[in-house]
Amino acid sequence: MLRNTCRGWRRGVLGLAFSVCLSSALALSAAAQTVDTGVLTGTVTDASGAVVANVTVTATSIDTGQTRSVTTGADGSFRFDAPRGGYRLKFEAAGFTTSEVASVTVEGTAPSVVDKKLEANDQVNGKPPAQQENLPNAPSPSSNTAPSLADLGLTPEQTQGNAREQALLDKRTHMLKIHQRVGLITTIPLVATVILGPGAGGKSEGTATRDLHVALGALTGDLYGITAYYAIRAPRIKGTQKRGPIRFHEAMAWIHGPGMILTPILGAMAFSQKNNGEKVHGLAAAHGPVAIVTAGAFGAALLSVSVKF
Amino acid sequence: MEKKILIAVLLVALPAFAADSQWILNQNTLTYHVSHPLHQSEGMSHAAKGKGVCHEGQCQFLIAVPVKSFDSGDSNRDLHMLQVTRGAEFPLVTVRTRLPESAATSSTVNADLEIQFAGQTAQYKQIPFKLETHGGEIHITGTIPATLSDFKIDPPSLLTIPVKNEMPVRVDMTWHSQ
Repeated sequence: MLRNTCRGWRRGVLGLAFSVCLSSALALSAAAQTVDTGVLTGTVTDASGAVVANVTVTATSIDTGQTRSVTTGADGSFRFDAPRGGYRLKFEAAGFTTSEVASVTVEGTAPSVVDKKLEANDQVNGKPPAQQENLPNAPSPSSNTAPSLADLGLTPEQTQGNAREQALLDKRTHMLKIHQRVGLITTIPLVATVILGPGAGGKSEGTATRDLHVALGALTGDLYGITAYYAIRAPRIKGTQKRGPIRFHEAMAWIHGPGMILTPILGAMAFSQKNNGEKVHGLAAAHGPVAIVTAGAFGAALLSVSVKF
Repeated sequence: MEKKILIAVLLVALPAFAADSQWILNQNTLTYHVSHPLHQSEGMSHAAKGKGVCHEGQCQFLIAVPVKSFDSGDSNRDLHMLQVTRGAEFPLVTVRTRLPESAATSSTVNADLEIQFAGQTAQYKQIPFKLETHGGEIHITGTIPATLSDFKIDPPSLLTIPVKNEMPVRVDMTWHSQ
């Protein structure tokens, strides 16, 4: 009975999926027939300006990801008849460095012309690729009239790279990634500890729940310590003014930080009183409320930055 | 007589020098947009500097903007973006383009751009921009369809899900001629 129901359900789903696929294909086909096409053409030359034949030119639609390839003719030219839209072009030929044009727009009105000059692949001679020669942010050597960075009035601090600062940024990101991941993991024993809290204290006479509560609490404390370490030790970047959710995230640490120290102390007091057959009293009675405030502040801190990257 | 010839030569020569002109970037806003299944964010900079030099009917433009100047309203995210784009090592984004001088009178222009960013160079062909002329100023708007992979940037991730590869950059600039 159940098997038949499942079969029927599966058949229904398959039928529905087939219908959706068929209607989507028909819709796409109809749409394709109505899309305007344009022409993408150009000529490939080498550094000396001579045309290059047999270059594989691959056009990838930025919108759909579909690719098409053609080969340049004896005159170095290529041509695509393609739907209007944005395309990425890749030029590949033996003896030349593979080159790309990140974006070219095909319009229905006039052919889009992309003439490409390929660089000979000199890497066997130890010469770096052309792209690296032109970096970083060097003024274009193409013309004497071209403006340079010096013309823009930029200071040396603005134009020169700082490898040390980059290394600090890399270290900071690495440490904060660990901080974020361990912080997320910490929430599991934290929530479990809070859930077990009422069973561990109160009127319960058994020790199993209490022991588990203590063990999970200890695990939470350890993981919290690791989380805090990676946040505190992450390098600070000079000249950075804190803005946005990180301010709230850090403010919450002033609540859950002391809370994470106070909670186990009060817990130990409560544990001792309970083991002595006493009712939890005095300062120890604050263990539960302090733990809940601590967990709440931790959760709020986590949420405040978890919806950002 | 010689004085008259000299004046005549100067009068003929002056328009040739006057044909060269320059454009200086005034107000500008560059806005990048990144999207994640859980979140959208934008970073904005008003710190671009630019210059265009026109000679024999052709103008060459250079625009540079410090990577650090992009502000998304969240310093943590900005530092993260600075790290993934290697903004300390390559502190500037530069854009170079070449346009005919006559483009200044059009309402649209398709520009070929060469962008250097994060230690990589990418070319964008035939990017459409709108132009509005107000006196000696031109207001240019458009969007550059940049992607993270164009510059070999590892996409930042949130909850192990990376942001989308597309990172369009909106351009809003006012240039004035000198």
